[in-house]
Amino acid sequence: MAAHIHVSRWSLSAQGAVPWVTTIARLLLGGVLIAAGWLKIGTPALSVQAVKAYELLPGGAATAVGYGLPILEIVFGALLVLGLLTRFSAVVAGLLMLAFVAGIASAWARGLRIDCGCFGGDGTLAAGQEPAYLTELLRDAGLVLCAAWVAWFPPGRLALDSLLGLSARPDDEEHDLDEENDS
Amino acid sequence: MSKGAREASARERIAAQRAASRKQDQRRRLMIITAVGAVAVAAIGLGSWYAASRNAAEKPVLAQAPATVNADGTLTLGKPGVTGPVVEVYEDFQCPACKALEDSSGSTIKNLAAEGKAKVIYHPITIFPQEPTRSNSIRAASAARCITDGRQWLAFHDKLFQNQPGETVEGFALNDLVSWGEDVGVTAPGFPECVTSQKYAQAQANQSAKVLKNDKLTGTPTIRVNGKDLPNQTAYVPAKLREAVLAAGR
Repeated sequence: MAAHIHVSRWSLSAQGAVPWVTTIARLLLGGVLIAAGWLKIGTPALSVQAVKAYELLPGGAATAVGYGLPILEIVFGALLVLGLLTRFSAVVAGLLMLAFVAGIASAWARGLRIDCGCFGGDGTLAAGQEPAYLTELLRDAGLVLCAAWVAWFPPGRLALDSLLGLSARPDDEEHDLDEENDS
Repeated sequence: MSKGAREASARERIAAQRAASRKQDQRRRLMIITAVGAVAVAAIGLGSWYAASRNAAEKPVLAQAPATVNADGTLTLGKPGVTGPVVEVYEDFQCPACKALEDSSGSTIKNLAAEGKAKVIYHPITIFPQEPTRSNSIRAASAARCITDGRQWLAFHDKLFQNQPGETVEGFALNDLVSWGEDVGVTAPGFPECVTSQKYAQAQANQSAKVLKNDKLTGTPTIRVNGKDLPNQTAYVPAKLREAVLAAGR
């Protein structure tokens, strides 16, 4: 009996922590996206060049991605930080990160010697610099996990979605609402 | 009305009210989502358009400044009497970032020289230590050294960047280099032989090593205005590059 009470208390406090974890994951993922976009958006030629350095996309597509990616990162980063359209933004950000993971892994596998160009730069390594594929992959994989968490448990605390009543199920009443809808 | 019936109708009323408010709420939610989505899409569209316009290269002027090939393999581009500001362009024909710089800012650099606003010096160097990029670069740059006419040299320079091979393949084949030279108007009888024998390969390697050491380059491309390196955020944005050069001339 005592054990049972303990468990339920633990799960209660864990449930209380979940929205906060979501908030932290949102800020982390959104912050990284905004920084990455901001550092690239001022120099489109380099951003295009960094995409081309992967040698994955044909010229026209690489140019379009080079122009569009920085602002895309900033917009979805801002949505995540604000907690607006949280689940959708997390899914988009997660797919974006997965695409980066695939790109970096493929560059590594093909033996290219490039910089990921994640935070600006033209994708070339400085003289004497070694590629940092593993670090880049681990970082982006961590961000994929953040995105997955946010998509699973949106919108977290301090989210505009809650303020505007956009989150269909305010976090704590989730189950009550379910039951009500079912009856 | 019986008590049961009254209760039933009350319940129905409440249910209807609830359904109505739920519908209203749904409509409101849809409106907000649509509005946020529209703003996000507009921002992404505008941002991309801004990036593209920021990167738009200047139209090249028709009358280019006189160009002189120097003994060390560099090219000086500038109107007679213009001594500054001096814009030095260090680039490797094989380096993709240099091609990107040429694509966005190449015409601005030439235009500034044509307008008498700058004296431009091109330094073609070879920075790659590994193959196949090193040999590609040496072949291209030593072929450029076979051209003595400045105007032809610059056209050949542009042609090399247009035809830049990937970094993992062998490119800049000798016979291609010869025919590109002929395309830009090189008629000197010794030119094909000079290219195919790679007459200046050693000179190019030596010159590169010397420049890398003496001019303290961190990489290519480097744009140096009056001896000071321009940051990439300036060099790669045509309008900012122009502004920086003009400011150095004031």
